[in-house]
Amino acid sequence: MKLKKMLTVGAAIFGFAALQAQAATELEFWTMNLAPKFNGYFEQSVSKFNAANPGLQAKWVDMNWDQIQPKLIASIAAGNPPALVNFNVPWVHEYAQQGNILPLDQYLGADKNVYLAAALKDVTVNGKVYAFPWYNSVSVIAYNKDIFAKAGVKSAPKNFDQLVSDAKQIKAKTGLAAFAPKMGNMVGWFYYAGLPVVENGKAVFNSPKHVAFVQKFADLYKAGVMPKDVFKMEFEQEIAAYNSGKIAMMTTAPQALKRTETDAKAIYEKTGVAPFPADAGKMAFGAWMMDFVVPKGTKDPAAAAKLGKFLTSDEQQVAFSKATETTFPSTKKANLDSYFQAGAKSADAVDQARAVAAKSMENARTLTIAPGVLPDEAAMTKKLQDEVQSAIEGRKSVKSALDEVVAAWNEKLGKK
Amino acid sequence: MKNSSSYTAIAYLFLAPALILMGIFTFWPVGYNTYLAFNNYSIADGVATWNNFEHFKYIAQEELFHNALKNSLLYLLVVPVIQVAALVVAKLVNNKLPGMTFFRAAYYIPVITAISIAGVVWANVYKYDGMLTWLLQSLHLVPQGPDGQIDWLGNPDIAIYMVMIFTFWKGIGYYMVLYLAGLQAIPAEVEEAAILDGANAWDRFWKITVPMVKPTILLCTLLSTIAAIKSFQEIIVLTKGQADTYTALYYVYDQAFRNYNFGRGAAAGLVVTFFCMMLAAVQFRFFSEKK
Repeated sequence: MKLKKMLTVGAAIFGFAALQAQAATELEFWTMNLAPKFNGYFEQSVSKFNAANPGLQAKWVDMNWDQIQPKLIASIAAGNPPALVNFNVPWVHEYAQQGNILPLDQYLGADKNVYLAAALKDVTVNGKVYAFPWYNSVSVIAYNKDIFAKAGVKSAPKNFDQLVSDAKQIKAKTGLAAFAPKMGNMVGWFYYAGLPVVENGKAVFNSPKHVAFVQKFADLYKAGVMPKDVFKMEFEQEIAAYNSGKIAMMTTAPQALKRTETDAKAIYEKTGVAPFPADAGKMAFGAWMMDFVVPKGTKDPAAAAKLGKFLTSDEQQVAFSKATETTFPSTKKANLDSYFQAGAKSADAVDQARAVAAKSMENARTLTIAPGVLPDEAAMTKKLQDEVQSAIEGRKSVKSALDEVVAAWNEKLGKK
Repeated sequence: MKNSSSYTAIAYLFLAPALILMGIFTFWPVGYNTYLAFNNYSIADGVATWNNFEHFKYIAQEELFHNALKNSLLYLLVVPVIQVAALVVAKLVNNKLPGMTFFRAAYYIPVITAISIAGVVWANVYKYDGMLTWLLQSLHLVPQGPDGQIDWLGNPDIAIYMVMIFTFWKGIGYYMVLYLAGLQAIPAEVEEAAILDGANAWDRFWKITVPMVKPTILLCTLLSTIAAIKSFQEIIVLTKGQADTYTALYYVYDQAFRNYNFGRGAAAGLVVTFFCMMLAAVQFRFFSEKK
């Protein structure tokens, strides 16, 4: 008797749960490293989406960036992947080539035109769009007005060659290093300068143009325009050097200025901001776009796409940028929002940087070599970086360094 | 009365918890790694396909791996230095003098400091305008101004030795404590007798201390040899493998987690394991008690 009763109750509960499950399709979406800072934004977005889409139930899950890939692979293998996953651009290429994420053209349709052309290009693999472009960032130049004045540099550089000559002048007049550009991604620098890296399956970066471009850095290094340990300087170290007045310019993402504001008030107050000039590659430097992909095997790809479009819509992207204060939308309209341009004339460097960077977004491309092109990426990039470092630090000539890397790359590319 | 076989059974029963854990977390991974070394492993679907010795052939002609292995073997230079120094320091702090506890603790602090934190500190010591340069310039050992600013961790000729100094600093306290335990096991009478016989401190150190702590020397050399071959963490926090400091284990890491080539990573890992075992065998020959 008792057992029967329990079974009935159990069945009733189970039936109810099943009914619930049928009533709403759950759409789980994963983001990286955004909780708990942006809980408010996501809770609001989720309830907004759920209210507007009866029958769909968005659910936000945040993870560390290093967890996302293993968990995603496990969930694809188990046949239960989430609806959307937050990826960066290199991952999109990698997963698209493996066939582990879905092309989105059929779901995007005319909505494609909402996004910036550069952003769409970033996530296009073999002619198909594989992700919904989301938030992005670009480098700006933050400069110490006092050092500029002392060096007699009147305004921020308009192009890369001017940046180089200003930098030399700063070193000559003040004795200080001018800047510490991130030298850890030479491939990115080549793209920025509009120079090809791999063409028709062959490495081509030992042309006279490439040599001349790298030589510029070697000259800067020799003259002490860049700090001696520039190859070890990344985001954190560059900010620290700028905040302590050891370099005249900080050439990095606008969020670095937030750190200057809190850590080095005195330097912050004499900081001016300018866009990072584009070179022959016509690309804004320092972009690193985030996006959403739909994994293969997800239950309802159309519904997932609906959520993806919602999360990356103009309105949501502006709201998210307002929440972060330092990231930028990847849609055409959103960057023109008055929020970004309001600070253009402000005396505050973060406000200025926001206006400056938003204007550069049209040319923002993530500058990495598409995954899959290099058969042994870790070893090949290391070879390139080591040789370039040797050349720039003056241990060998630029020409012979680049020749050596090209030969090594071609040997590996030939075996592919 | 229990017979010997039931004693053996009980012994194994006591060993079982440790053996099970070791089996799961030590032997199984080593075995699986060996299996992976002969396979192409695709992480997306978890499929391993047999490919014989392909990975070994590849790394046998891979210049980067040769270089990495060379650096790992070069790293062994730190072993004799750290052992002799740790033994001498242990001998010194084994005296009953006021303040000795302080010195013992001071040498041990680096051991318990997290490597990432110690790395940040040492990066500032080794910066071209950091503490080391400042010290040498204050002592007028190198020229003043930018000419004397050596990029300790950026120059391929010296960077790896700088990292070794860091390893030395980080490890000396650990081996010192082990030697201290070994020293305290030496009966005081032996030393007293030697003093009566007129042996000086140098003789006593080499003729009494060293032979009597030989088992500890074997243990410590073994541990530090394995640690040297496995050098990876100190490299990643100080140089990221730049400036000719790329080691074999860094290669393993790069192949597995940047190239997603787990098979090749496993093969390289197996080669490293092989070197560890070979060196261990050599050391057992030299330092273990002859029977």
